[in-house]
Amino acid sequence: MPSPVRLLAAAAAMAAAAAWGQSADGRDLFTRPDKGNCIACHQVPEGSGPAVRADVGPRLDAARLKGWDRKRLRGILDDPTLANPDSVMPPYGRHHLLEAREIERVIDFLHALP
Amino acid sequence: MRFPDHGLFLALLVLAALPLHALAGAEQVRADIANRVRGQYPTLSPAELASGSAAFDPARQAQAERNNPVPGAAEAIEAGRRIWTRKFAKGRSLAGCFPNGGRRIAGAYPQYDGRVKRVVTLETAINQCLKTHGQPLLDAGDPGTMGVVLAYLRSLSEGQKIAVRVSSPQAEDRFEEGRRFYFTRMGQQNYACASCHVHHAGKYFGDTAIPAPVGAAAQWPYLRDGRPVTLQMRVRECLDRMGAAPFPAGSDELAHLEYFLAYLSNGIAIRPNAWRPRQDAGNL
Repeated sequence: MPSPVRLLAAAAAMAAAAAWGQSADGRDLFTRPDKGNCIACHQVPEGSGPAVRADVGPRLDAARLKGWDRKRLRGILDDPTLANPDSVMPPYGRHHLLEAREIERVIDFLHALP
Repeated sequence: MRFPDHGLFLALLVLAALPLHALAGAEQVRADIANRVRGQYPTLSPAELASGSAAFDPARQAQAERNNPVPGAAEAIEAGRRIWTRKFAKGRSLAGCFPNGGRRIAGAYPQYDGRVKRVVTLETAINQCLKTHGQPLLDAGDPGTMGVVLAYLRSLSEGQKIAVRVSSPQAEDRFEEGRRFYFTRMGQQNYACASCHVHHAGKYFGDTAIPAPVGAAAQWPYLRDGRPVTLQMRVRECLDRMGAAPFPAGSDELAHLEYFLAYLSNGIAIRPNAWRPRQDAGNL
């Protein structure tokens, strides 16, 4: 049977993990190589993320994303091959690269781009 | 109007659904991919494409020139030479297993060996020699042993043009296995090798220009921080990044992929031990 100390340590670790998860905002998820790593393919406006030469996907900004509501973006992030079978974008939702709540934060980030 | 023969109709449907390369063989596949790359980058020669990212990125090209002579290359080659010439019991050595001590043989590898019904890479041939002489085999994924041996062995073929043959139905089957591997999506990221290297060659992934498939087999092993990285080691890194469990170095799967890639590089001169940058978030 686990000792009270071990249980306390596990609870603390879970709380820390949850707090960390909440602190990972859309920009983190967009740029982190172990998460979305969207920045590897898409440039964003200066000040919104690291400056890269990435051009596998289109540059993302407010003009490009005009008309992309949450539902449409959620669908693309979940599985882009449904809309375009040749897409090389990873199926973030379908392959569990991002959790549903993380996808929502990425959408927040995209909608906030200038 | 009714179609007169249902069987014929079905056969035509199946034929229409097959990709062209499934019917055309290795040479047609090579020509199709070479033409595609030439169409995208008409000013780049196959020899230039062999420099990988640097072919598309002048800054990377300048970096490569600043790193010539390649740091660590002489040491890696010398370490490989020592293993290559080390005498086994009865006075034999790795060098004795290959024609002319291994000089100017690399361009013909990988090759399909009908006797063992397998694609034989240089790694396979080296380990076959060691096995024959009762020696411990080298780990095809280890830069410190197989990596340095290949740094030396391929340096003996510097400038030789790659001339890999796919000359039997069995060899075609292995080439097709490699082609299928290259074009099949896999892993958590759902990429195929071709997703990047064929469909987006020359585009930037992060801060790295994506190398074209033509020429990919010409400059390995690459020297990264002085450590030799073979083509199979490099493919394993890519598979890992794709979120796919990499096939073991020395496996038939990687041998078939190498066979496919080497055939695409036919006619290009071997320039082994080329500099490549350290891997980090910017350099993939």
